[in-house]
Amino acid sequence: MLLADFGTSYCKLLDTSASDGPQLIATRNLDHDLQVDRGTGHNGKRHCHHYVNELTALARGGLSLIQEESFTLLDCGSRDIKYVAYQGEKIKDMGWNAECGASMGFTIELLEKYYDLDFAAIKVPASSFSVTCGVLGMSHIFDAVVTGSSEEEAVAKFVKGIAINAYNFAKRPEKVYLSGGLCDNPLFVGSFPCPVVLLGRFVLLEGLKASSEQLNIQ
Amino acid sequence: MMSSRKQRVGIVGVPPLSIMEMLSSPEVEIYDLDEPQGKTDIETASPFLPRVYCGILRTVIANSLTIRPDVIYIDTGPGKCDCAVHTATVLEDTLPETRIIRTRNQDSMGFGTPLCRTRMGLLEKMAAITASVQSTTPFQDLPPCEPKAGFWGVPPRDFSLLKLFPDTTHIYGWARCMENKTPDNLELELHYNPNIPTVFFAQSFCAKTALARHLATKHPHGLYLDCDVTAGNSAKAKIQAFLELSKI
Repeated sequence: MLLADFGTSYCKLLDTSASDGPQLIATRNLDHDLQVDRGTGHNGKRHCHHYVNELTALARGGLSLIQEESFTLLDCGSRDIKYVAYQGEKIKDMGWNAECGASMGFTIELLEKYYDLDFAAIKVPASSFSVTCGVLGMSHIFDAVVTGSSEEEAVAKFVKGIAINAYNFAKRPEKVYLSGGLCDNPLFVGSFPCPVVLLGRFVLLEGLKASSEQLNIQ
Repeated sequence: MMSSRKQRVGIVGVPPLSIMEMLSSPEVEIYDLDEPQGKTDIETASPFLPRVYCGILRTVIANSLTIRPDVIYIDTGPGKCDCAVHTATVLEDTLPETRIIRTRNQDSMGFGTPLCRTRMGLLEKMAAITASVQSTTPFQDLPPCEPKAGFWGVPPRDFSLLKLFPDTTHIYGWARCMENKTPDNLELELHYNPNIPTVFFAQSFCAKTALARHLATKHPHGLYLDCDVTAGNSAKAKIQAFLELSKI
């Protein structure tokens, strides 16, 4: 069975009959005619026979990967942020911010390339910018650079602002399970004011797998 | 010979029963200004109300500008909201040819809530409740069903989000107060069923967002949701995922 999480910047593909694990493909390089059995993600409806809601896929992925009965799982993607919170094995809360939290991941990647930065080498700053949207938040960087900050320092404050905004959006949990491409960004991960458990990019694929297994059982 | 036309009367919120009895005449055409009427563009309200304002009251202004009623009865009592108080002032200054009559509905005689508890598509059920505002008699008795889900809140600006719920969804909150014809009944508004997964809904920028969010936190299996003018994909996905993950 072919499963895919069609994200805005990257598509994650998994052939459940193969042993080589999931593949990561830049969305701009995706075969326009690709059709999968089960899909999710912003870009997924036109590429799959059966579409699974992104929040459902995230929650099912979390349930497969997390052993605790109560948890908050936050997914920071290119275009949006979303979270699910379980309490005592029951879904308790969820959120999906596709508008005001827009383009945070995308903007971080854009800045990394534009300023040629290595996020692994940048220290988490003591303070942050107040950022609620990637696009609007960029003006803080330009203002800071104009007033004498280094580009590196300004971007670090921006990234920390994004992490704090995502943390607030998920209702300030004691611990965050983090999913999505930003798991690979140590500056972003280190900017959370709480412990972070990294689950990587393929949590929604796990959720699709769990949905398929559940259907097979039924 | 003089030609007579029906009097065009707009209502906002739930006017007192005595007013609705008075308006119950073939000579009167009633418009529920809280609901989208025809293809009225909500942006026509933007010069008169901030865009970041309750979508229902922006709809009231847009409808009023299009329909130009002879009279508008607008409830500005505790059974509606402070925003309606200010909207009444805006209407008065914007439509000088329309009589704006403020009411304070504190009716306390309950008409019952059979619609809220019966088995019926949630959209149809909510439409029947909002239509019942114009009726002065209790709704026909309907058998209650066992609830599988709950919807707490006000009738949304965009009814399409109601399509996602099962027809065994019970209605709570202000919509239940509407059916009961007691919009100022806080005790009834606060009531919910803790044994069923419940979506606590309020219009964005409405004071009821505080209550909806508070009750969703208190409820053992509640989800808070707010939407502005239309229910976007993320709002619909939240409802869909919540119900699915609650095994409904």
